[in-house]
Amino acid sequence: MNGAIVRLTLRQVRRSAIVVVVVTGGMTALVAGTYRSVVTGPPERAQLAAIAGNRAIRTLFGTPSGLGDPGGFTVWRTGTVLALILGGWGVLVMTRISRGEEQSGRWDLLLSGRTTVSGVLGRQVAVLLTVMAAVWVVVAAGLLTAGVRGAALHATGLALVGAAGVATAAGTAQLFASRAAATGVAAGLLGVGLLLRMVADGFAGLAWLRWLTPLGLVELSEPFGPGRWLPLLTLAVADATLIVLAGRAARGRDVRGARLGGPGRRRPSYALLGSPAAFALRRARLPIVAWSLGMGAFYLLIGLVAGSVTDLLRDNPRLAELAEQGGATGLGTPAGYAATLFVLLTMPAGGFVASRLAAFIGDEVAGRHALACAGPVPRWRWLGAEMLAAGTGALVLALVAAVALWAGGSRLGPAAALAGAANVLPVVALSLGAAVLAVGVAPRAVALLGAIPTIGGFLLVTLGEAVRMPGRLLTLSPYTHLAPVPARSPDLPAAAVMIAFAVLACTAGTVAYRRRDLGG
Amino acid sequence: MTSTAIRTEHLTKHYGSLVALDDLDLEVRPGEVFGFLGPNGAGKSTTIRLLLGQARPTAGRATIFGAEASDVARAHQFLAYVPADVSLWPFLTGAETLELLANLGPGVDPAYRAELIDRFALDLDRPARTYSTGNRQKVALVAAFATRAPLLILDEPASGLDPLMEREFRRAVTEARDRGQAVFLSSHQLDEVEAVCDRVAILRAGRLLEVATVAELRHLHRTAGTGPAGRELSLEEIFLGYYGKPAR
Repeated sequence: MNGAIVRLTLRQVRRSAIVVVVVTGGMTALVAGTYRSVVTGPPERAQLAAIAGNRAIRTLFGTPSGLGDPGGFTVWRTGTVLALILGGWGVLVMTRISRGEEQSGRWDLLLSGRTTVSGVLGRQVAVLLTVMAAVWVVVAAGLLTAGVRGAALHATGLALVGAAGVATAAGTAQLFASRAAATGVAAGLLGVGLLLRMVADGFAGLAWLRWLTPLGLVELSEPFGPGRWLPLLTLAVADATLIVLAGRAARGRDVRGARLGGPGRRRPSYALLGSPAAFALRRARLPIVAWSLGMGAFYLLIGLVAGSVTDLLRDNPRLAELAEQGGATGLGTPAGYAATLFVLLTMPAGGFVASRLAAFIGDEVAGRHALACAGPVPRWRWLGAEMLAAGTGALVLALVAAVALWAGGSRLGPAAALAGAANVLPVVALSLGAAVLAVGVAPRAVALLGAIPTIGGFLLVTLGEAVRMPGRLLTLSPYTHLAPVPARSPDLPAAAVMIAFAVLACTAGTVAYRRRDLGG
Repeated sequence: MTSTAIRTEHLTKHYGSLVALDDLDLEVRPGEVFGFLGPNGAGKSTTIRLLLGQARPTAGRATIFGAEASDVARAHQFLAYVPADVSLWPFLTGAETLELLANLGPGVDPAYRAELIDRFALDLDRPARTYSTGNRQKVALVAAFATRAPLLILDEPASGLDPLMEREFRRAVTEARDRGQAVFLSSHQLDEVEAVCDRVAILRAGRLLEVATVAELRHLHRTAGTGPAGRELSLEEIFLGYYGKPAR
């Protein structure tokens, strides 16, 4: 029986677990292995140090430590991204296999055996922690030549951030009766963790905040600097405490019940129930508000520290020269810095549209479309409504990002900020196109395929820049074709091509969806 | 709009090598309650999915009052549907769900809906995730009956209802028939079928075995000599006879 639950969990997570382990291990090994060909001499090293040490860049990537050697460079370059991927994966998978399965009613059957809620939860957490152990092995292996102690520290830090995602989600899955709420709150906590770390790195007086967040604790360990185990021990204790608390909360509660929010009667609200489009907006409004709050806080913070980039150039004329000739260091001007930051916007916005279409398929799998599609509303209108809601959400996120960056005092006019945010929307449209195509032809892979243009494309260029990948490979990523707006004028032909691809994918997906059988 | 509620011609559905439905010819007329019987896996739900345009036929066609089943915008003007396993949006209350379904459906008779809510003793102020199977079914039944659509497609609609609600359900079906609506009722509850259906179709392994009135079926089987002498056969005995199992 116990082995059966472990095997079931493995089946449920193995595919994405393999992707996560390969991506973390692969990126770490590649960046570390090609350091010497990228940072060739003392001038490059000095330039890198000046950029990485700047307040605005520090806020984004964390305070660098040991940047002069391959290990420190890899930690600085990949650490934050990989930590977020691991933490995010931990949250999404944990709530999917626990609260998601429970909400669907499948746990009624599972728990009619001798197993308890906490019993299942414990085994699931154990399986996910084993995945984190695998992450530890591949990350440590990738950094081994850079130094054994540093490799061990960095691998431990990353695995512990992943475990923090798992532990937090295990807890929220006990608190909330719906998977969406459990996922949203856990992901929100992860986001708050990131913001705290950013504030700690951006404002000298608040450096102590690092002790309160997983990403900050990992940074404090400075794997290729002095190397400290105490922050990681703190994180390990916090993870363990959360897991124990989640287990406690799971014990003695009803199956399908939750610690917060009971059955509760309420008065009806008839707003946004009049059409498929209105209803799609009704279902998307809470996620849009939540994502907007996160985006707003992130870009406001970035805006607050952005001014230091200009100061950096004033204090360092040599760097300003380099920035101007190279173009590669577009981070050197407020406009270039803003352009780089708006590129980051594509990932939450792309993730948002993919998650909306994934929720659409979730409704179909749960059988809700059987009832909805019995009315005289053609199926393509339901899908169109969902695309509309997802697109509206992406626009709102872009608007919020632009306004927040401008309001933060980034020395950027509102028009420039809006142009920068609008410039990256074609990439988000590609994610929407991929997700809609998946709705038609591969409904089980909507989230994965929807994430490929934005998250996959971003990983490709990040890796490509770090290891000097051949140009042909890089053209596959939409980011290669994105002009740094507002620093330069937008690449309109490239944007038109991206939008054309997105429209084509949306059309093909809609046609395929109309023709295929409805699931559920 | 023709006078035939449902017409299928050579309707066939394959899932890979599995033949879920094979060459089904059927006609359901307005003002009749049509029972659709068959063991699990016989192709009943597949037929309903094809009638609703939610699955595409491998061969053949189905029309709803003359409109192609795949032309949802037209065909669904004439019908309302209750699925076997009713799945509602967990965060919408019963009242909100009924409002949504009314807005997206072929129209609604608010007075009749209010009456049905009362008769089915529906608590509308709770979110759907707190509803039991029977309550979810009641929401879907009220939504469907309240449309007064000329065709009602009901897939095992009363399986989660208690005897009191089951009685209300039968009453609502009879009222619908008396108003001239056609009711397509897929069910395992043979006493229910016997009580409300005018004609029944019996399906086995994707093939139609028989379409007849309950009285005709009785007659057919008495002359075939399968029933005990001197007693009228129940539908259950007839049904089991079709599958080669002796009646209890």
